[in-house]
Amino acid sequence: MKNFLYRMDLKGSPYLYIAPFFLVFAAFGLFPLVYTGWVSLHDWELISDDHTWVGFANYTKLFGDTYFWNALWNTLSIWVMSTIPQLLMALVLAHVLNQRLRAPTFWRMTALLPNITSVAAVALIFAQIFGRDYGLVNYLLGVFGLGHIDWQSGTASSQIAISAMIIWRWTGNNALIYLAAMQAVPRDLYAAASLDGASSFQQLTKITIPAIRPTILFTVIISTIGGMQVLAEPLLFGGASPTGGSDRQFQTLSLYLYEVGFSRFDFGYASTAAWAMFGIIVIAALINYLITSRLRRS
Amino acid sequence: MRLINDGGIRRRRIVAVAGSLLAATLVMTTAACGSDSDTASNEKVKLTVATFGEFGYKALYTEYMAAHPNIEIVERITKTEDHQKNLAAHLATNSGAADIEAIEEGWVGQFTSQPGKFYDWMEYGGAELKSAWPAWKWQQASSPDGKVIGLGTDVGGMAMCYRKDLFAKAGLPTDRAEVSKLWPTWDEFIATGVKFEAAKPGAKFMDGPAVMYRSILGQQPVGIYDGDKVVVDSAPGVKTAWDLTIKAMNAGLSAKIAAWTPDWNTGMAKGTFATLACPSWMMAYIQTQAKDTAGKWDIADVPGGGGNWGGSFLTLPKQGKHVKEASELAKWLVAPEQQAKVFRAVGNFPSTVSLYEDSVIKDFKNPFFSDAPVGAIFSKSVKTMVPQYMGPKSGDVNTAVINGLTRVEQGKQTPDEAWTQVLKDVKALL
Amino acid sequence: MYLCLIALAFFSGFPLYWSLVVASHDNSVLGQTPPPFGLGSNFFINIGRAFDTVPFAKALLNSFIVSTSITVSVVLFSTLAGFAFAKLKFRGRNALLLMIVATMMVPTQLGIIPLYMLMAKTAMIGTLYAVIVPSMVSAFGVFFMAQFLQEAVPNELLEAARADGCNTIRMFWHVVLPAARPAAAVLGMLTFMTAWNDFFWPLVVLTPEEPTVQVALSTLASGYVQDFSLSLTGTIIATVPLLVLFGLLGKHIIGGIMQGAVKG
Repeated sequence: MKNFLYRMDLKGSPYLYIAPFFLVFAAFGLFPLVYTGWVSLHDWELISDDHTWVGFANYTKLFGDTYFWNALWNTLSIWVMSTIPQLLMALVLAHVLNQRLRAPTFWRMTALLPNITSVAAVALIFAQIFGRDYGLVNYLLGVFGLGHIDWQSGTASSQIAISAMIIWRWTGNNALIYLAAMQAVPRDLYAAASLDGASSFQQLTKITIPAIRPTILFTVIISTIGGMQVLAEPLLFGGASPTGGSDRQFQTLSLYLYEVGFSRFDFGYASTAAWAMFGIIVIAALINYLITSRLRRS
Repeated sequence: MRLINDGGIRRRRIVAVAGSLLAATLVMTTAACGSDSDTASNEKVKLTVATFGEFGYKALYTEYMAAHPNIEIVERITKTEDHQKNLAAHLATNSGAADIEAIEEGWVGQFTSQPGKFYDWMEYGGAELKSAWPAWKWQQASSPDGKVIGLGTDVGGMAMCYRKDLFAKAGLPTDRAEVSKLWPTWDEFIATGVKFEAAKPGAKFMDGPAVMYRSILGQQPVGIYDGDKVVVDSAPGVKTAWDLTIKAMNAGLSAKIAAWTPDWNTGMAKGTFATLACPSWMMAYIQTQAKDTAGKWDIADVPGGGGNWGGSFLTLPKQGKHVKEASELAKWLVAPEQQAKVFRAVGNFPSTVSLYEDSVIKDFKNPFFSDAPVGAIFSKSVKTMVPQYMGPKSGDVNTAVINGLTRVEQGKQTPDEAWTQVLKDVKALL
Repeated sequence: MYLCLIALAFFSGFPLYWSLVVASHDNSVLGQTPPPFGLGSNFFINIGRAFDTVPFAKALLNSFIVSTSITVSVVLFSTLAGFAFAKLKFRGRNALLLMIVATMMVPTQLGIIPLYMLMAKTAMIGTLYAVIVPSMVSAFGVFFMAQFLQEAVPNELLEAARADGCNTIRMFWHVVLPAARPAAAVLGMLTFMTAWNDFFWPLVVLTPEEPTVQVALSTLASGYVQDFSLSLTGTIIATVPLLVLFGLLGKHIIGGIMQGAVKG
C-alpha cells in the first residue's frame, strides 16, 4: 500500500502540479486560439453578423500580400537590432549588480525604472528625442557637425530608433532575471577564481555564463517571442498611425495585424495573419532552440 | 427652432441647480426608507452614456436627472481611439455597449456600414429634427440605404490660421479680410505661398500635406465614396485634392512636418510655418502648445469656401434595453440649448444651424487670435460645406493617400509613382 | 563601476523625471527648445484636476487588488509547475513544456474578441474577475521557474529528501520553495508590474465606473487636444505607488535573493 502511494506520488503528482496552468490556459488561451482559427476561414467583418465561409482563401491572399512580408522582414530586423545588444548589456549590467555594492536595492530598483514608466510617457519622450527639427539626438549630431537625420522617414533610421526604445525598456528587466540566476551560483566559485587572479570579466565569461545557461536560453526564447510581437513602440513612434510610416518602413507584424483587425475591421483576414504569425514564431523559436541546444552540447 | 438668449440660459441654470438639490434630497429620503411601493410604479431607469474626450456633459446630466427623477445617468469617458475600438468589440460580441454611444467623425463610416447594429433615428423622431443640422452632417451618419444612426453633437468647421508677423515679413497683407481675399481658391493660396517664399521670410508657408489634402477633399461634391462605392480612381474628387497638394509641395511651400508630432508642436511655437488650416478645436491646440505666440496669429477664411474636420454623433446601439428613455436623453443633449451650453463651457462648436445666427456664436471672438470673429468664420465654412458619403473605408483610404503624399515629400517616389501605389493600396483595401 | 551605475540611473530615470517636468508645467513646455529642466509650480494643481476628473482612489485600490491576486496566483502556480517540469520525471514532460512555451507565441490582441465573448457568457464583464481570472497563470512564469530550478536545486538534495521519506509535496515545501525564493521574488515583481501596467485588456472589459489605474488614465488622456501635463500627472500617480511598494518591499525581496543564494 505504501509502495503504491509512493508510486502514485512519483508518477501522478507532477500532473497535479501542472494542472492549474493547463486548466486556466484551456479556457482563456486555447479557446481564443481555436476560435481565431475558425474565423480565419471566413470572410468576417468585425461588427457584421454575416460571415461567409471562404476556406483557405485568406491564406492564399496572405501568401501574396507584399505588406505582410514587408512587416515580417521589418519585425526580423528590429528583433536582431534590439535583442542582441539588449541581452549583452543585460548580462554585463547583472554582473555589475551582482558585485558587492553600496545600496544594492537602490541600483536594482533603478534598473527596473524603464519598465515601470508607462508606455505612453516613454513614447512621448522618445518621439521628442528622435524629432527631426528639434530632437535631442539631431541636436547633438548638429553640435558635432554631423548633419541631421529624418529618423522617421528612413527605413534603417526609424528601425534604429524603435530598437533603441525597446532596448531601453527591457534591458533592466532581463538584467534582473539574470541577476536572480546569478545569485544561485555558489559564491565559493568566485572566491576560488579571485584567488587564482581571474579578472571580473573572466569571472563573468568563465563562471557566471556557463552556470546560468538555462536562464540565458530562457531570455533568448522570451525575447524572440516578445520581439515578434512588438506593437506599442512602432505604433506610438508613428504618431498612432497603424501603417508604420509612409512606406510602411517600420510596420511590424503585430502592427499589421492591428491595422487589419482594428482599423479596417477585417477580422477574418486579421485572424489569418495572426495564425500565420503564430506559425512563424513557432518556427523561429524551434530554430532558436535547436541552435542554442547544439551550442550547449558542443 | 426657437432661438435662445442668455437670460433664458441663466434662468434655466438656476432652476437646474435648485432642481438637483431637490433631487438629492429625494434620493436621500428614498434611500432612508428603502424600496417601497412608490418607486415600483415609477421604476428608476439607469442609462449609460459612453463618450470620449471632452463632451462637457457632466453638468447637463445633473440637470437632466433633476428634471427626470426616474432617470439615473452613468457616464463613461474613454480616450478617443480606445472608445471607438471598444465600441467595435462591443458591437461584434453583441454585449457591453452603453445605452448611448458617441462616435467620432473619423470612424463614423465604419459604423454606418452596419446600420443593423443601431436603432434607426428615423424611427425615434429623427425626421422632424433633420433640418436642425447642415445637410452634410446629417449625411455623415446616414447609411447608403437611408438609415440614420447618429445625431450630430458638434462640428469642427474650417478656417485658415496664419502668422501675422511672418506675413508682414514677407510683405503680404496682415488684415484678415485682405488675407481672405488673397485666396478664394486653393490655386490662389498656392500663388500666395510662392510670393511668400520668394520674400525669404525664414519660414515655410504651410506645415505639411495632410491638412491641406483633407480640407480640399471635404469641398468636393463627390469624395471617396459615391453611394456605397469607392470611386478614388474614377471620380475626380480625390485626384483634385491630390494634385493641388502636390502642386503646393512642388512649389516648395511645405515645411514637411507630419501633424501631431513633437516637431509640429514646436513648429507652432517657433513659427516654422506661416499657415495652418485649422478647425475650431485646433485653436485650443495652438493656444496650449504655443502659449507665447498670443497675438501673433490671426484667422482668415479657408480657401475654396467650406470645410469641416472633426465632430461627433450620438448613437443608440441595438443592445440597449431602454431605447425610449435613451433616445429622449440623446435628443435633449443635442438640442440647441444644450449645444450652446457645451460651447460656452468647453468650446465644442455647435452642429445646429439655428445657433449660427445666435449671438452665442455670431459674436464669439478669440483674443488669442487677434480677436478674430471665429464664430462667424467657422459657421460660414460649415454652412457652405457639401454633403459627402462617408464609407467604412474612408479613414483607411485617406491614410493611404496621405502616406502617398508623404512619400513624395520625403523624396521616395515621384508623384506619378506615388499615385499608382495609392490606387493599388486602395484596391487592396476593398 | 559606480560611474557606470550612475549613467544607468540617468538613462533609466530620465523619462520619469521628464514626465514630472511636464506634469508640473502645462502643455506648452512640449513646444519649447531647449525644454525647461526644472520643475514648475503646477504639479499639485494638476494632481487636483486628475483626482477631480477620475475616481483615482478607487482605481488605485482596484489595481492593487488585481495585481496582488494575479501575482500570488502566478508565483504559486508557476513554482509548482516549474518544479514538476524541472525535477520530476513524468510521461510527456518535454512535449508539455514545449506546449507551454508555444502558448506564449499566440498573438494576444486577436484573442480579445473571443475572450470577450467568454466573459460575456460568464457574466464577468465589468468586474475585476474579468481581469484577474485569465491572468492567473502565466506561461512565462512556468517556463522561467522551470529553467531556474533546473540549476538552483541540486538533484542530490532531492534524492536525500526522498531517502528520508519525503513525498513530492513535502519536497516542494522544504527544499524547492526556499531555493526558489530569488526567482520567485523577481517573478513576483515582474508579474505585479505587468499586471499594474496592463491596459489593452482592462480597457475593453472594464468600464470607467470600475476602473484600474490604466483605465482611469485613458479617461484622462482625452479628446481633440490631449492635455499632456494632465495625462503625465496621471501616469505619475499611477507609477509612484509601484515605486513606493517596491521601495518598501525591496529590502525583503533582495533579502530573499540573498537568503536563497546562501541555501542554494
